[in-house]
Amino acid sequence: MRFLRSNFSFLVAILFLASCSSMNVTEETVNANNVKTVKASQMMDENITYDSQAVFANATIYFDFDKTNLTSKSLQTLKSVAEALNENSQLRVTLAGHADERGTREYNLALGQRRAEAVSQYLILNGVSKNRLVVKSFGEEKPIAFGQDEESYSKNRRVEIN
Amino acid sequence: MRKLFLIFLFFNQLYAELILEITQGTDDPYRVAILPFSGDTEMSEELESIIKNNLNRSGEFETFGEEELLSSPSSEEEIVFNDFKILNIDYLVMGSIAGGDVIYNVFDISKSSKIRTSTVFGIPNKNRQLAHYISDGIYEEITGLKGISSTRILYVTENEKFNLVVADADGKNEQILLESNEPIISPVWSPDSKRVAYVSFETGMAKVFIQNIGTGEREVVIENSSQISSPAWSPDGKFLSLTLYQDGNAEIYILNLRNKNLTRLTNHYSIDTESSWSPRGSKIMFTSGRSGSPQLYEIDLRRFNSKPKRITFEGNYNAKGSYMPDNQGIVFVHRSESEFKIAMKYFDENFIRPLTVSQMDESPSISPNGNVIVYAIKDGNKGLLAGVTLSGAKFKLPASNGAVREPAWSGYLR
Repeated sequence: MRFLRSNFSFLVAILFLASCSSMNVTEETVNANNVKTVKASQMMDENITYDSQAVFANATIYFDFDKTNLTSKSLQTLKSVAEALNENSQLRVTLAGHADERGTREYNLALGQRRAEAVSQYLILNGVSKNRLVVKSFGEEKPIAFGQDEESYSKNRRVEIN
Repeated sequence: MRKLFLIFLFFNQLYAELILEITQGTDDPYRVAILPFSGDTEMSEELESIIKNNLNRSGEFETFGEEELLSSPSSEEEIVFNDFKILNIDYLVMGSIAGGDVIYNVFDISKSSKIRTSTVFGIPNKNRQLAHYISDGIYEEITGLKGISSTRILYVTENEKFNLVVADADGKNEQILLESNEPIISPVWSPDSKRVAYVSFETGMAKVFIQNIGTGEREVVIENSSQISSPAWSPDGKFLSLTLYQDGNAEIYILNLRNKNLTRLTNHYSIDTESSWSPRGSKIMFTSGRSGSPQLYEIDLRRFNSKPKRITFEGNYNAKGSYMPDNQGIVFVHRSESEFKIAMKYFDENFIRPLTVSQMDESPSISPNGNVIVYAIKDGNKGLLAGVTLSGAKFKLPASNGAVREPAWSGYLR
């Protein structure tokens, strides 16, 4: 008898648990998720003082799709840039690489950097000291032509020297 | 049968608000009746509309309101299950509001029984948030998968200025984290979703910043004169993998955030960038140009001096990979026939699955439950966000003005 009773209460407990497990009971409180807005400080580029710039060293070098090597046409332009830099030994220039919009943004940032490095290496080989050159990339973030065609793309694959 | 949902939501605020547009649902959605919450008519209407949109957007649900039903019981006792069975309704949700808090119940119509009762305590002016919590509870109860309505998305907008913006997963409740005159790219969340890292060109050169979302405190992660980009947090939050250019070429490094020690991970004359961590932090995947075109490679961090292993072979452009949260596969950008699409590859399959059909798709980011992928598309010259669920549903999040890009999905916030 005692055995039966304890068995019965066990059964009741099982049934109770079973009915509970079929229903979920939850309690929670909403999170505030506060956000603070910040304005980017417009720090100046520490590497270069632009007032000592001379326009005659400015140039733009163009590249083929997915390529980072210098074309024969750009070699002619770079030759005169190297001469201008060698005649004005105080001049420092920024070599900013760019890519067209096709492909991922980070890969294009790296591609722009390689283009700027290619220009930098040419100038160094032609007698310009490395510490007169700042190499960087804007990837596909600063296009100058906005069409989605080869004409625009070819204008955006560039290294700006200034 | 393909169901077509077309839902347009319009919210005009001070700045570009995303407008959600569901372009395609799944074949056989759960049919869920949602009754008005008793106790506060105005608040009920607000909650109902947000909950319905959340569930419909997932593509896995079709929701029904009071006016589409045969009966509208005002209490549990009054439910006539047959009225819902006739309409092939699978689940019924009803609840009540008291003092800004909500109690809701979920009923399984086929079993004629209650399967969930939940209380959500609200806080002032956060009804939207409260509705997201209820949506997630319903979603979890029915699908068995964690809900993502209460998660958030980070993205960049360009409209003369560049803004880093955070919004609810439905594109609403936009808040600006950073305003800048210069480009911002590659935003990512910390694993606890309290901080973000991103690349800002505000100094005239790409630099990686970490910013606390709540306090606005921010810092440059490494002070040096060369450019730094492509941040990715380790799952334990202790490390940040980065692309450094100090060697004259893009190389991946791991930064210990506590002592700022840098460890070089890659060493190759071609481009190595876009690193991402496996869910347990044991592997890093990255894009490398070492084969002559961008392809995805993997490094096993548990092995000493392990060599990068190539993991994509189809096509000549596979980049920006990320691991699925269950580590079943990867999602990445794939070019086929000069079109850039988002694609997926399961580790146990030897082929890739294209997920999208447009031409300039990029920056895929996976929801924390692994079920939805948000990515950036180009519509003409305008950038906007789109999403695809693994069950096949699709949606768009176009901004009402300006371009939107670089989406990044938060972790769970609830």
